[in-house]
Amino acid sequence: MNAIRGLWRSAPLVRNVILNKSTLTRPFATATITPIKPIEDVPSAIELDKLYKRVELEMRGIDPAVLLSYSWFCIAAASHLGIEVTKSWALRKAEKERHTLLRCVHIYKKHRVQYEIRTYFRFIHLQRLTGSTCDTFLEYIERNLPEGCALKVTKVECQKIPDHITPPQE
Amino acid sequence: MYLIFCHKSVILNKLIKMSLFIRNYKPGVAYNAQILWRFNSTTAETVKQGEDEEEFRVLDILHKKGKLQKRVNRRADIQPDRSEKMPTDQNWGNVWPGPRSFHPSSVPLPIRQGYVPKGQAPPGKKANAELMKIPNFLHLTPPVVKSQCEALKKFCTSWPKLLNSEEAIEKNYPMEIISSDYCHASPTIRNPLARIVTLRVKLSNLKLDSRARDKFLRLVGDKYDEKTDLVTLTADRCPVRKQNMDYVNYLLTACYHESWTVEDWETDKCLEDMEYYDFDLNPSKKNLVNWYLMSNNEDNNLNDEQVKNFDVSKIPNGVEYKSAVSELFNEGESDLALNKYDTSVRKLLGLPEKKIAN
Repeated sequence: MNAIRGLWRSAPLVRNVILNKSTLTRPFATATITPIKPIEDVPSAIELDKLYKRVELEMRGIDPAVLLSYSWFCIAAASHLGIEVTKSWALRKAEKERHTLLRCVHIYKKHRVQYEIRTYFRFIHLQRLTGSTCDTFLEYIERNLPEGCALKVTKVECQKIPDHITPPQE
Repeated sequence: MYLIFCHKSVILNKLIKMSLFIRNYKPGVAYNAQILWRFNSTTAETVKQGEDEEEFRVLDILHKKGKLQKRVNRRADIQPDRSEKMPTDQNWGNVWPGPRSFHPSSVPLPIRQGYVPKGQAPPGKKANAELMKIPNFLHLTPPVVKSQCEALKKFCTSWPKLLNSEEAIEKNYPMEIISSDYCHASPTIRNPLARIVTLRVKLSNLKLDSRARDKFLRLVGDKYDEKTDLVTLTADRCPVRKQNMDYVNYLLTACYHESWTVEDWETDKCLEDMEYYDFDLNPSKKNLVNWYLMSNNEDNNLNDEQVKNFDVSKIPNGVEYKSAVSELFNEGESDLALNKYDTSVRKLLGLPEKKIAN
């Protein structure tokens, strides 16, 4: 990249030719407008794929059977795409959100009625995905998420320590 | 004349009956003579001549009777279920290509679902609301998933082969960035929790000397976990994940470079300001070194710097003494620490071991 940039700096002639060419081809009608300086195209650095050390899927839903089928589907898709599945489990009991109300609206405080909302959970842990694999897989399983289910994906990306985290030079 | 009239009335009767029948005819409902009897009140006169019906042949010029019979017999031909005509080697993915609620005549499976009292069979698949309520996975059968994954495989890349162990990953990519995505059915697709970003790095992977490390730990405070040696920085103050990511990186950079700067007042720290007991700085070491040199008849004019840098391991049992004294000061007095101090001093001075009184 530096070599290209060096060439760019050291060859004004070439650059002039390129720049002039763009101004010459400009149609006459726009010639009165001050010519826009063409942006020097900086060759973008090669974008490296991200590395995900671990991806944790948390599914929650109102029906344990649907969640089970969905986790089967996720694991099958992961195995077809060559993703390692480390763990897959479910909570033994559902999380219950309870509301206790008076059975009668205004009176009889002794007599209550209880309503509850049950939420079932399932977890799948995957490990060692590249960014493109992760995106593909997640897009696929999120599109096939059944009704009444929610999915939380926690991604642990591993990165190099940035270059500026070095002891200062005195 | 009468005969003619009679004939006429019979024919009339027939015609009335027929028109009534045509009016009341509905396909699929069996024709029942009983339905008609209430209308006979309007033609009560002719009912009495019912016996005479057999005597006269009815002139059926237009063959209406036959036609009517035909129409009664002809019923809308109900097609058999699609599922009954399906070949066994069909491609199921083409029959059920996408998510859809259950449809009994498209699924060639003898499914039953529903709660019934004991001893009864659950209701079958037709007109079964239970089967339609639950989301089905008929569009995600194993062969379909496999073929779809084959098609998706070209977008995937494999994990680098050299990063095949936790240690290798830890060594080359020590920094962890943790974030969450949410997918759920709600009026909005955004979840505010998705903005939270966590940065995790092992302190030993940051290049810090002992002074900078001390300062870094003071700066990050309780974000450092001693047991795992991890520094965890979490940002949730900005509305967007990108901003939080930048902020977390900024925090790490700022803390790191701040820990390397030395302020003027940091040199003013003296022995009284120490937050822990450092054996090398304390008079105890000076006494030990002086005692050791005197007992070996060597010259005893070391300055403070030399005393500080004197290697305790040269003195027999010196290291043990050092650890015993440090422990006594740093962790407080306890029977264990005092006993350790006792034995180390006896060893250092060459005194006999403590006799345990019975």
